[in-house]
Amino acid sequence: MLELLEALVWSTLEFAPALIFAALGAVLSERSGTVNVGVEGMMRVGAFAAAAFALVMPTPLAVLLGMAAGALFAAIHAVLCISWRSDQVISGMALNLVALAGITFLLESMFGPSTSPSIAQLGRSGFGPLAQVPLLRALSGHTALTWLAAVLALAFHLVLGRTPVGLRIRAVGEKPSAAATVGVDVIRLRYLCVIGSGALAGLGGAALSTATLDRFEHNMPAGLGFMAVAAMVFGRWSPLGAFGAAAFFAFGRAVQIGLESSFPSVSDVVPKGVLLALPYFLTLVVLTLQGKKSRAPAALGTPWEPEAR
Amino acid sequence: MKRVFHGALPSLLSIALALAICFVALALSRSDVHLATDAYAQMIFGGVGDFPSFTESGRWGVLTRPWGESTSRAALLLLTGLSVAVAFSVGLFNIGAQGQMTVGALLAAVVGAHVSLPAGIHPLVGLLCAALAGAAYGSIAAVLKVRRGVHEVISTIMLNWIAVNLIENWLVTGPLRAHSEGTVSIAGTDQILPTAELPRLLSDGSRIHLGFPIAVLIALALWAWLSRLRHGFETRAVGLGPEAARTAGIPVERRIYQAMALSGALAGLAGGVLVLGTEFRFPAVLGAPYGFDGIAIALIGQNHPIGVAVSALFFGILRAGGTRMQLLGVHKSFPELIQGLALLFVAARYVWRKLLSGRAARPSPRSSEVQRA
Repeated sequence: MLELLEALVWSTLEFAPALIFAALGAVLSERSGTVNVGVEGMMRVGAFAAAAFALVMPTPLAVLLGMAAGALFAAIHAVLCISWRSDQVISGMALNLVALAGITFLLESMFGPSTSPSIAQLGRSGFGPLAQVPLLRALSGHTALTWLAAVLALAFHLVLGRTPVGLRIRAVGEKPSAAATVGVDVIRLRYLCVIGSGALAGLGGAALSTATLDRFEHNMPAGLGFMAVAAMVFGRWSPLGAFGAAAFFAFGRAVQIGLESSFPSVSDVVPKGVLLALPYFLTLVVLTLQGKKSRAPAALGTPWEPEAR
Repeated sequence: MKRVFHGALPSLLSIALALAICFVALALSRSDVHLATDAYAQMIFGGVGDFPSFTESGRWGVLTRPWGESTSRAALLLLTGLSVAVAFSVGLFNIGAQGQMTVGALLAAVVGAHVSLPAGIHPLVGLLCAALAGAAYGSIAAVLKVRRGVHEVISTIMLNWIAVNLIENWLVTGPLRAHSEGTVSIAGTDQILPTAELPRLLSDGSRIHLGFPIAVLIALALWAWLSRLRHGFETRAVGLGPEAARTAGIPVERRIYQAMALSGALAGLAGGVLVLGTEFRFPAVLGAPYGFDGIAIALIGQNHPIGVAVSALFFGILRAGGTRMQLLGVHKSFPELIQGLALLFVAARYVWRKLLSGRAARPSPRSSEVQRA
């Protein structure tokens, strides 16, 4: 029993960072007023870039470049949505399609059809003596990204809720015209938030290809970006909420994988597909119960037009 | 005519730009311009028919086989594209075509395999069930939107993954899995009965089937409905301004329900055509995400049924040709890259309008709607 719990905690901590980073990225973009359904594509770009760069340089550096690639990809979204006032959902879905086909094209022309060559994974830190203690054992042996995800969520919560910058980001997402009258550069701040969102999604993707696995697989991130959007909505657009939802979804995934490997008979009672569908179903239920009291930022999806004030 | 051309210009330029960028990318990645030219030629010949080879050999097969491949893809793109376009006309963004299509495909596979009916009626019943299933699934998003104010973009994303996971990871691998014959285990559901297959138009050597003509007829009917009939006009009025439409006495909620059910039905029909026309079973994985492609097709076709039909046929041709590009070592998803880039450029409507007419664009009909939600 104890071993099972340990295994569940361990694989949750392995699986969660990618989802947490991406969900935090979605929160950052949407709190500043720009819809981001392109998380899936940004993750894909980050995952591929990190895996490709890790072949020629140390993996931590490649992870940073994966982040940069995600940020660069998100910059397209920023230009389209903020400067050119395109429909934000369309732009995000277009980026998803471009990432899906474009990365497939790059993967094929660089490494062949199904995966990249395997790379050196990010280093894993053991806890020394702690690694012998039951239960705590499960916390040992993860990459730095696992702990970064937790710290980042907390930091994000504090910055957004307690600092002037956070106040400005929230203002720009709720009522940009009011923010502009007190001298906030709405356009610039929204740009930074969307690009930062891409960097976080890219980091999430990089976590998949350099920490969870040791290569880029052709279907990455296989819907995880949409699950991150679900986590953001489930967590009511707050950093800690998104963090909690992402961790919860990751735990669900760990339960599903754990059940499949150690108790195959359970999957006759509760099929795998039902467990996989559960996070989305729960998100839908929560949204339905919330009804019209949705916590979405008020100016979400509306381009900022200074001359139309 | 001039007005039509002017309206289509942003899409045409976007496609041209996407084709050009992908050409350069291909030429650079192989450092071979000749290969890129060859690949583009293969893409065209693989889609519209190998005319050089036809004039040489006189065999019709080199023409009809590509026609079958391109029209069967175009039919799916057209139906999902129309699905997205109909939802747009009432002001909703249906990202859920993928899920509705999956549900439709499953129903068609079940009706095709487990209900016995005469040959003439069986495919029709299968398609009808697929459409009804898609309509029911699409209506969930409409009900959540109208009753509970849940934004349809979020709800349809969730509904997509619920449908895909429940069907592909449970029903198709579990209860509905094909009965294995001896030791051979078959992925997907049972093969449909021969009576349920959509009739082929040219008997041999080409997979061209009834799906494409059906899709084109539906596009024409939708065009007539949206532009000539009262309900269609009211639907568009709701899309342009729900409050104004309500003031004018249009039953806004009812139009939203109807449009979303119709949108789901079209996506479900696409699933039915996929199963009854080309796959003949619900495969282990539904293959290309035609539901998401529908978004690209609808927007590149400017949400106009005829425009959607043209854009579906064009990308159907490219994607059929994409399989032939593989002979040159280019991945078959290359046309999807072209399609995605074209969508990205179409999304920048503001810039196109500014470039083409020298004045700023009016806000799109949807922007007010999103703000409200």
